[in-house]
This record gives sequence, C-alpha cells and structure tokens, in this order.
Amino acid sequence: MLPFRIEKIYLDEKAEKDPVSQTILKALPNIPIETIRDKRALIKRFSSKPDPIGIGKKHLFLTHFYGRHLKPCPGTSNHICCGYHVINAITNCPLDCSYCVLQGYLNNPFLTLYTNWQDLLQEIDAFLSTDCQSLLRLGTGELSDSLALESIFPLSQMLIPFFTERHNAILELKTKSANVNSLLHLNHWGKTVVSWSLNPPQIIEEEEKGTAPLKERIEAARRCQEKGYPLGFHFDPIIYHEGWEKGYRETILQLFKQIDPKRVVWISLGGFRYPPKLKAIAEERFPKTKVFLGELFPGKDSKFRYLKEIRVKMYQKMAEWLREVDPDLFIYLCMESKEVWERVFGWNPENNRHLNQMFEKRVRKFLDG
Amino acid sequence: MTNVQWAMVIYQLRIHFRMGEMKGIQKILINQIDLSDETFSVNYLPDLHRLRSSIEQIGMMQPVFLRKKLGGYQIVCGFRRISVMKELEKSEIESRVFEDKEMDEFHLFSLSLQENLTTRGFNVVEEAIALEKLIHYFQIHPDTVIHTFLPLFSLETNEKILNTYLSLAQMEDEVKTYVLKEGVSRSNIRRLSGLTSEDRIAVLSLVSPLKLGENRLREALTFLEEISQRDQCSVREIVRRPEIQGILFQKELTPIQKAERVKKVLKAHRYPRIHQLEEAFEKRKKNLNLPSHLSLHHQPFFEGRGLTVEFQFETMEEYRTILSFLSNLVDREEFREILRSS
Repeated sequence: MLPFRIEKIYLDEKAEKDPVSQTILKALPNIPIETIRDKRALIKRFSSKPDPIGIGKKHLFLTHFYGRHLKPCPGTSNHICCGYHVINAITNCPLDCSYCVLQGYLNNPFLTLYTNWQDLLQEIDAFLSTDCQSLLRLGTGELSDSLALESIFPLSQMLIPFFTERHNAILELKTKSANVNSLLHLNHWGKTVVSWSLNPPQIIEEEEKGTAPLKERIEAARRCQEKGYPLGFHFDPIIYHEGWEKGYRETILQLFKQIDPKRVVWISLGGFRYPPKLKAIAEERFPKTKVFLGELFPGKDSKFRYLKEIRVKMYQKMAEWLREVDPDLFIYLCMESKEVWERVFGWNPENNRHLNQMFEKRVRKFLDG
Repeated sequence: MTNVQWAMVIYQLRIHFRMGEMKGIQKILINQIDLSDETFSVNYLPDLHRLRSSIEQIGMMQPVFLRKKLGGYQIVCGFRRISVMKELEKSEIESRVFEDKEMDEFHLFSLSLQENLTTRGFNVVEEAIALEKLIHYFQIHPDTVIHTFLPLFSLETNEKILNTYLSLAQMEDEVKTYVLKEGVSRSNIRRLSGLTSEDRIAVLSLVSPLKLGENRLREALTFLEEISQRDQCSVREIVRRPEIQGILFQKELTPIQKAERVKKVLKAHRYPRIHQLEEAFEKRKKNLNLPSHLSLHHQPFFEGRGLTVEFQFETMEEYRTILSFLSNLVDREEFREILRSS
C-alpha cells in the first residue's frame, strides 16, 4: 500500500502505450484516469487552485520527457559544488517537506513520471561514452525522492542493473523513505549508492511530512548495508533550532549504532538555504513551520543562508562528531564558500573540478577496497 | 449557483426593475423607514459630505429601494441617501417600493450590490462585508461567491482572495478603519488575520501612530510574528516591551523617527547575533576616529571576508590627508582587530 494518496491519474496520450505506463496503471487500479492532449492547459487548470503544490502531490501525470534527461546539478554560483549529474525521470515528490526547494522551482505541480525510459537509458549511455576516463556520479534524487514512488514506478530497479555494466559511473539513490524492499534482491556490484537525508526526529516530525521516521530510515540503511550497497548520508538541510546540538549528535550516534562507517562512501553537510521566493510559498503551505525563524541572509548567489558564523559552528560540530565515529569518513559541504570550507576543515577545494576529483578518488578507493 | 443561474438572477432583476419603473415611484415618509435594519447594508465609514452637498444643491436624482415590512419599510438600497435626507430634516423620500413577497432577500441584496456598483462603488471593508453576508447570511456556496461575486468587485477569482476578505470582515472595527484609511494591502491584511484579536489591537497601537507605508508595515508585522513564534510569546507582549513603548511616548520624535527606532529594536530582537556583530563592528570603527569623508564597511551580512573603504574628496589636500590617514591605519591595532574580525 502506498504511504500517500493518489486521487487521479492524468495520462498523456503520447505515453498511453508505453509499457511503463501500463505497469503504473496496473499498480494503481480504481483510480480515475483522464487522457490529456494539452499539458499546458492541464497545468493552467490547476495553477489557479488553492495550494496547487499540495494538490499536485496527489495527482500523477504520466508523460514523455522531451528535454535532456541528464543535466549537471545546477549547484549555485560563487560556491563550491561537486560536479554531480541529475537524472530527470520523475519530477516532484509525494513527500511534503516544509523547506523543499521544489515548491518554488517547478512550474508543473504534478507528480510527474516520465515513461520514455528507453530515451533516458540511451541518453545516459551517450553521455557516459563521452568521458570514459572519469568516474561520474549520477542521481535521481534532486527533483524527487529516489525511492518514494518505487512501488508504482520501479525506476531504480531498472537503473541499478543498468549501472552494473557501466564502468565509469556510479548511481546514487537519495531518499527520506524506507522503501528498500525492491532493492534488496538486485545485483548492484557496488555501483549504486543508497543514501538518506537525515535530520533529528523532532525536525522530521515537524518539517518533513510524509517521510519515514529516523529509526526506519536507519533500519532501511542497515538492510542495504547487509546487501553490500555502498551508503551515503546527507545532513542537509541542517536546521538551526533550540537544542540542535543534542538533536544532531544523538542522530549521528543512533546512525552509527547500526551502520558501519567503513560502508559509508560519503557524507554531506549543508545548512538550510533557500531562494528568496520559497519563504512566502512555504509559509502559506506550512503556517507552523519554524525553518525560517533562524538568522538567514542573502548570499552572493541570492540564496538565503544562516549567518556565516552560525553555519561554521554547525559544520565544525557535525564534522567533529562524525570524526569521533571514524576519522576516515569522507565529509563534504554542499554549496558552500571556500572560506567556510577553510574554517571548517582547515583547507578548501581549489574549485568545483578539484572537489569532483576528490570524489572520484574516494569512490575508486571505496570500490576497490 | 452556477454562472447560468446567476445570469438568470440578473435577468429577473432587470424584469423586476422595469416593472417597478412601470409601477412608478412613491413618496414615503422617512419616519416609516426602519433605519436600524441593516440586512442589505454593507456601508462602512461612508463619506456623506459630498452626497450631502449634492442633495442640498440638486436634490435626489434616483429613488431609493425599500421593501414593505410589518409596520414600515426596510431599506434595500439607499442607506446613505436616507441618512442624509434625515439629517437635512426632510420628511419624505422618493422610493421604489417592493412588496413583502415580491422578491427574496438574496435577490434584493444582489440588486442592492448591482445598484451600488453602478453608482458609488465599494471600499475594501464594504466589499469584505458584502462577501461575508453572501457566505454567512445568504448561505451562498463559496465557489459561487468566488466565480460570480469576486469579479463584480474586480477581484481575482480564487479562494485565497475570498478568505482574505472574509477575515477582514471579522476584524475589529478599529482595525477595519485602519485598513481602509491606510490602504493596507491584501498581503498585510492576511498577516493581520493571522493574529489574535488582542494581538491585532496591540499591533494597531504600535503601527497606527508610526504612519507606516506598506513595506514598513509588512516588515513590522513579519518581525513581530517571527519573534513571537520563535520566543513562544504573544505579539502583544512584544509590543508592550518597555524599549518599544519608550519610543512611542517620546513626544519630541516625529512618526518617521519613531518608526525608524522601532524597526531597529524589532530587528535586533529578530536577528540578535548579527545585531551583536554590527554593534561590535561599529564600536571598533568608532575607535578608529575616521575622518568624516571616509567610511569603512564590512561585507554584506558578514558573509564574505574583508572590508570596503569609501572616501570622498574635493581638493588634492583632502585627498592627501585621507591617504595619509589610511596609510597610518596599517600600524594601528584597532584596525588590525577590525580586519581580523570581519
């Protein structure tokens, strides 16, 4: 059973005959279906409704993706970014985090599943063939949760075997769910990193509606660890709140009671940040949210971040607690300035390329080890 | 009610109106009109001055609409005119009278809205009262109100707009008056609607004497709301803090000066850490005794490293003096400290 409610399916007539569409429709019987010819008219119909974002999460749209399925992670200007690549096969997310940047980012409010998988795979192959020397990192978890829809849209089950045969790439599935059952029987050959975004239970409860509780996420990670998957963890967004030190420290301790740090390929740290227009949208949808109550100010990329000294303190503490668990953990900062890197770690990547190279080295060592 | 049904209502009103014209206009004694019956009224702070002088000069140009009721008449349309005529001590008024059962209350209310729209229009509070009556008194479905009545007031057809107006209709009279007189925007009305009645009254006591523009009002409301949420205290507790009340009671300050100081206090409460950094920076800067044409700035929000120096000069002598001052700063410990901490 789905942990969320789908009220209606909109089926683009061009996607009607795709095997993927048929699989989804079988997985969701008794849900009304409307065939769509004009996607723009559909979006327009919903944009005047109150909370189109909330409504969109309950409405599936099956269509083809005509643009580039694979894009460099947009990252952010004037900050160090890691050279990640984003696979666009799903946009929007059934989970409903108050701070989610997608609320202000996507024009199409629907939970949109792109069913032209063959085009996607061809594009990934073409992309990987252009750079056989590097070890590229690709993931599905930027414009949606990688695993939340797995029971109806088994994209990861298709991508995991696909990546076992690609020597110069690694797939990351990033989630806040605990939906790993379908992954456990697959041969992955270590070429898929399953990663979780983590926050203390209080933040999960107050700000991450519809996501799995911390305990369940850790338990799911442990099950993936047992099956030999490399693991990743993202403390992102770190939210500054009363009692944050206790909350995050206990989260780290709880995590590594079950997880072997040697099986963790990377850990990211990222303070809560948001583009200017998100606040009004999120506050309207989540009147009780507390995420905007910190001291957040616009930076060089126009995104709001915590005051630098607050971020540095949070990262220093987090890094310290993680190093106490295992000094060899590969920890990086997401969308941060060189200065902050320097103050947290005592060094900084020279540029995005440098950080990308460090990742490559880390992943190769991990895979070889 | 669908749009088609609404079109039917309008059609019926037109027919009635024409029949009414045929029936002719009657003169009705004003003392037979029940002025306290406000079933069809949406008046809020009507400006009677212009109407009075118009009626004095050329008399009433249109008849008022009344409905017969037990022992007299109920006003359907023309509350302001009847009020002025009474003030002018007129004994009777030209009226189009509807029989008791001639038309139901909702049709009469619709007629009243239409008539007023074509003559005087409504202010924002009157629009709110009208929408509130449609929903709560006449029990019209919100979807119908959104799609049929919001366009009458030239408002966008969505639930958020309707809710904003309904919340305004529920607010205290002093708040409604403030909204009307200061032309408060819909986004700020929504902010006010998020407060409790006591908090709204307290906010009014703060913002009313400050004569805030829209942006300043939004800023003040946001600060108050966020401090209240973060510190888990009521907005009125924040407003009553001595450092804020002290500013309001300083008679020598102009409203603009008071507004500036209140903003500073609220900002310091909302962003305590950056306020401390600003204060420490200003203190160190003061110790440098910078000449008047030279200023020193930290990076915006202390995000980047380094300082910015800005200076202005008119003569070579001034230029030389400033350069010499800047050059001497290198050896001063206060300057090194300010650079280290920025």
